Amino acid sequence: MEARVVVSVVENHSLALSPRISEAGVGDYLALLKPRVMSLVVFTALVGLLLAPGYVHPVLAITSILCIAVGAGASGALNMWYDADIDAVMARTAKRPVPAGRVTPQEALAFGLTLSLFSVATLGVLVNWVAGALLAFTIFFYAVIYTMWLKRWTAQNIVIGGAAGALPPVVAWAAATGSLSMEPILLFLIIFFWTPPHFWALALYRSDDYARAGVPMLPVVAGPDATRLQILLYTVMLVAVAASPWLLGYFDAVYGISSLVLGGWMLWLAVKVYRQREGAPAVRAARQLFGFSLIYLFALFAILLGEVVVAAVLPLLS
Amino acid sequence: MDEEQRPGIVLTETQKKRRRERSIAIALALGVLVLLFFAVTLVKGPAVLNRPL
Repeated sequence: MEARVVVSVVENHSLALSPRISEAGVGDYLALLKPRVMSLVVFTALVGLLLAPGYVHPVLAITSILCIAVGAGASGALNMWYDADIDAVMARTAKRPVPAGRVTPQEALAFGLTLSLFSVATLGVLVNWVAGALLAFTIFFYAVIYTMWLKRWTAQNIVIGGAAGALPPVVAWAAATGSLSMEPILLFLIIFFWTPPHFWALALYRSDDYARAGVPMLPVVAGPDATRLQILLYTVMLVAVAASPWLLGYFDAVYGISSLVLGGWMLWLAVKVYRQREGAPAVRAARQLFGFSLIYLFALFAILLGEVVVAAVLPLLS
Repeated sequence: MDEEQRPGIVLTETQKKRRRERSIAIALALGVLVLLFFAVTLVKGPAVLNRPL
């Protein structure tokens, strides 16, 4: 009996010492980059880059967008490294590569740090260091300030943390001009005020998930009714902020009127979320707002992109 | 089994396949980086080396 115990200990010991051989595929590493978030980052950065005054060589423009995209992906990988414990207990995130065991936390950390270093250094050396420094700050803000600190500490996590998601068009503007001005700050503010209603709408119908993971999202900490009020207030501010570039004379009336129409629809959905508080209609209203908020932001930036393209093409046609 | 015949760590077919895929992806990424630096050097011309220290 004693001999069997000894053998068992030796076997376990040798198992613990044997190196883990990775079976992670390329797809798992791509998943660490959060491709859906990255696509929105690329799109908003592209708009920031094209809105900037002056000529940017296409090679430098592609380099800038590529570096911003890789930097955003690096932030995602660092987030998945640190949040693996939270992701494991949430239905929405349990199948991510780290909690599912396909990629170890150490591999995710190394991947995220490597991409951070390469994206910032490449943007700094090949484009300019204002953009490189802003990209480094964006990654730091998302990975350290938001992921490691705010997310587990305060119900205002996504309000303050939203700054990281709002910075890509600012980085792109800096890449094109080497400086900053009012227009990229207005783009920043639009995404900043868009973030709370977007994520709180999701949190309303996923609050059980967040509560189980111990994440202090607003519906978990303050309750769904207080969240509904906050969603409404932030949506009112969002509509005003989104119209401000037109009212201040930076963008034209096509953008201004479109922003008011889209904002009016977003506000109507926020009012529905505020009024529908029980059962399936409440969940449906929150889902509608979450879904439309994505369309809203995409449409606003697409209109800006369209105006830039039209302004560039019209002189060629005439 | 004596010391010389010990097989060491033997990778499964899946592990070999995934390792090869990861190696190819790293090679492609490095290739893109080299091309990027080459293209930007062409775009910026000789001034690319003329930077303040």
